[in-house]
Amino acid sequence: MNWEQDRSGESPQMELELEQALKHFKASMDAWSYAAYHRPRTAAKLAVRHSWRMAAGWALGCLLAAGSLVGAGHEIYHRQQLAKLAAQKAAEQRAAAGRATAQPTSVQPVSAQSDKKAPAATVRKVSVGAQDGARSQDDDLLATVDRDVSREVPAAMEPLAQLMDDNGTQ
Amino acid sequence: MRRREASTKVMAAGTAVEPMTVATAEEIAAQEFARIVESHRPQIFRFLLSSLRDIDLAETLTQECFLKAHRNWSHFRGDSSAMTWLMRIAINLQKDYWRNRRIQFWRQTRTNAVDLDEASEWLPNGERSAEQQMLAREQVAQVWQAVKGLSERQRTVFLLRYVEERELSEIAAATGLSEGTVKAHLSRALGRVRAELRGTR
Repeated sequence: MNWEQDRSGESPQMELELEQALKHFKASMDAWSYAAYHRPRTAAKLAVRHSWRMAAGWALGCLLAAGSLVGAGHEIYHRQQLAKLAAQKAAEQRAAAGRATAQPTSVQPVSAQSDKKAPAATVRKVSVGAQDGARSQDDDLLATVDRDVSREVPAAMEPLAQLMDDNGTQ
Repeated sequence: MRRREASTKVMAAGTAVEPMTVATAEEIAAQEFARIVESHRPQIFRFLLSSLRDIDLAETLTQECFLKAHRNWSHFRGDSSAMTWLMRIAINLQKDYWRNRRIQFWRQTRTNAVDLDEASEWLPNGERSAEQQMLAREQVAQVWQAVKGLSERQRTVFLLRYVEERELSEIAAATGLSEGTVKAHLSRALGRVRAELRGTR
């Protein structure tokens, strides 16, 4: 290489040092490159490393899949539990409401014969009372709805609706 | 394999010689390419190793370089030397790598690049005293330090000049720069090396 071409106006000592440094650098690079180029390569080692990476990848993938499955299962179970609790609560509320409406009927006097079957009869009465209560509640609700609906009739039907309303209240 | 007759005829001493088949032409081209791989592969590897300081990566890019060269061998018209042509491919591959690396920043975590101290350890076993060896190692480390601070283009030009010992015209052809720009990059790179050497005196 023509070093003279690349010289600058630096001091000769500096230029000599630079030239030496560059020469050493090239020699070092040659030695490193030669050693790296001619290093022994074992295919088995590469294969082992590859399989190890692959196994690690698979394990991680399986772990993630299992984790997501467990998570999904837990979520479903949790929701089911919540739904059960809600249903239970609703049933309890319904039973409490039924009991409240059934209390006056359970106070009625009973005969001596019916005393023997007291618990079963009481239960039947309570349930009948609850049913009656629910039915009367439904009737009230329907009557209210009917009234509301009848009030919202078109203007042309207004007199008839008024008449019906008057009849209902009278 | 195609077996059709090639229109190429080899002329020797003014007489038409037997027509050459495509298969024969391909065989000759393959042999020529194999010769080029054998003679230039270590140099391309050395250039990539000095640019990247990563043995595995340098090997991979060397392979890729020759694969690309093989694919485009039929397009090589011989405007420049085969070495310059191969260097151009290697430089482009290296550029692509750095570009990708900048985008995919996580690659940095798994880089295999050796550090400068390790790279400076390599010196041929010459007939030198221990003191001389130490001095040489120190100088190599200083040059590596300067190279580390160079821009991608400056580094490429510097390595082509002082490791691969290419002429300025060859460097210009391989990098696609003008000779003037190559000179300017070299001057800046040398300035950095000088500053590094001066700094430790």
